[in-house]
Amino acid sequence: MDGTLLAGFAQVLQPGVFLIILGAAAYGLLIGSIPGLTATMGTALLVPLTFFLDPIPAIGAIVAATTTAIFAGDIPGALLRIPGTPASAAYTDEAYKMRQNGQVELALGVNLVCSTIGGLVGVAILIIAAPQVARFSLGFSSYEYFFLALLGLSCAILVSNGPRSKGVLSLCAGLMLSTIGIDVVMGIRRFTFGDTELIGGISIIPVLIGMFAITEILRKAAAPADLPPTPPLQLRRAISGVGATLWKYKGGVARSSLLGSGIGALPGAGADIASWIAFALARKFSRTPEKFGTGHPEGIVSASSANNAALSGAYVPSLVFGIPGDTITAILIGVLLMKGITPGPMVFVMDTGLVNAIFAVFILANILMLPLGLGAIMVSRQLLSVRQNILFPIILLFCVIGAFAANNTLFDVWVLLVLGLIAFVMEENDFPLAPMILALILGPLIEENFMKSVIKADGNLLEFFSRPIAGTLGFIMFAIWGLMIALSVARHFRNRKTEGAQQ
Amino acid sequence: MKLNDAILGAVFALIAVVVLFQVRTFPTLPNQPYGPGTFPGIIAVIMLICGGGLILGGVRSRAPVLVLSDWIRTPGAPLRMAAMVGFVVVYIFLSKPVGFPLLVPVLMTALLCIMKVRPVMAVPIALLTTGAIWLLFSKLLLVPLPLGLLTEVIY
Repeated sequence: MDGTLLAGFAQVLQPGVFLIILGAAAYGLLIGSIPGLTATMGTALLVPLTFFLDPIPAIGAIVAATTTAIFAGDIPGALLRIPGTPASAAYTDEAYKMRQNGQVELALGVNLVCSTIGGLVGVAILIIAAPQVARFSLGFSSYEYFFLALLGLSCAILVSNGPRSKGVLSLCAGLMLSTIGIDVVMGIRRFTFGDTELIGGISIIPVLIGMFAITEILRKAAAPADLPPTPPLQLRRAISGVGATLWKYKGGVARSSLLGSGIGALPGAGADIASWIAFALARKFSRTPEKFGTGHPEGIVSASSANNAALSGAYVPSLVFGIPGDTITAILIGVLLMKGITPGPMVFVMDTGLVNAIFAVFILANILMLPLGLGAIMVSRQLLSVRQNILFPIILLFCVIGAFAANNTLFDVWVLLVLGLIAFVMEENDFPLAPMILALILGPLIEENFMKSVIKADGNLLEFFSRPIAGTLGFIMFAIWGLMIALSVARHFRNRKTEGAQQ
Repeated sequence: MKLNDAILGAVFALIAVVVLFQVRTFPTLPNQPYGPGTFPGIIAVIMLICGGGLILGGVRSRAPVLVLSDWIRTPGAPLRMAAMVGFVVVYIFLSKPVGFPLLVPVLMTALLCIMKVRPVMAVPIALLTTGAIWLLFSKLLLVPLPLGLLTEVIY
């Protein structure tokens, strides 16, 4: 184990790879600290570049950029009360209160160290759990994969906010998009409308950039706002006192890191949900819950550990089953597929070098985050003074060229624009986008395994439940569906009751 | 920009119906009812049900057809959003004939000016960005960005 992890480090510490990781980590800090640029959007913007890299530096770049971006989201949260990424939203108010109490350096220092600890705990869980789960799932057949993928999608609906039916429709849109092109079973053309460009299917890169970057650009273009200036920060105050604060709330750090990894592993639930839940739990278990909301570090400690832990946790289902744990890993799986690597238990057997390199990248990125993060806190004034009306046109140009670059076709730029506009309208109307992107990645997997299973079973659908694990997974899935339907029916009646009471 | 749920529900339902009609023309596996149309068909049915649910809910809620969000009332917001879309469309149509090195600086300058960046700033920023993207994609990553009018000048 140690030997192989060392081999992973040897690969990651090669000068070229290391430089890419270092650059990506710095890029992540920039993305995270500018409000409006989320970690997912940052990943989507990285995709055209990773297209030209080898798998290990490509994954390394994504891992490093997202790790630092989730931390850097805390910086504008504490300084301006604007979360840099949604994952910091849970404790923005609390951190801003700390600024008003003159403790902004302490808040940011605690954020940084907790992010690192949470990230490292998440990696530890990834390193321990993923190979075990992979070994267990080596015997999985198409039945199990079919149910697992469906379970992943159901989970994404369950945790998405907004009305369930909109989550399901978003999911259907993703699945439908994935069916465009040549079908997997008989090789006929589906939904191509005679267009030759569509025969190969919708390319994933422009869809990703469109959904996560174009939407944000449109929103920012409507109301560009420059951020108010922030005070200069002192390095010494960001370091002293952090240790004591962490020690005081060590239980919260441990609990939230573990919890965060677990939530991250659930498909569809990512860093933002993990930090909300960790914050709420911290308040519940706190000995001084009345101090919450007055600039109390306890909740910040918990939530900022949890969101970075969730980031690593999301890689467990992604690497073992190819089922993304959040939107970032959905993009990562898309990148891996383009590189001819199909994530799954076989990767852990055939390609241990790659797996160990991913583990090593995670450890390295989290350790690098400490010095780089301190640097980012120090230059936060400059970072936050970047003018949005200049930044977003540049990002738009980058999106257009990035979408073009993957296949060198202008058709992909159309895809970028159309999907960006569709996603914009959907988000404006409370359709969650995470189920759609998960479905787009999982669609081919589900269909292929479904058709394989159907052919094996000679059309007898009861065969799907004949194997013990497949049967159990199928049962869990129906239980989740039953729960969701029951919940929405209950909500429907409750709403009707309150409406009746109002009349 | 919140539309009444019924409208988007209708869009989804319409797509579902089109798919269901298309799917009927697909072949199936020999001796089995399943084929390339099975999976899209199942999705279309789910889409139809949920879309229908949205239509019902939207009609019953009597919400207005379109509610404009606050940010869209910011002065010039529709223009700036249209400019973003326009940028992409113009790039798609003109990048081949005109070429990346000539088209992008002009387009970027225009977009920056619409975003209320002063021209003194906009021109250098546009030139620098174009140069950086050209170096990164064309020189480093070897993406064939179109030269357009410059093709004959260079070769």
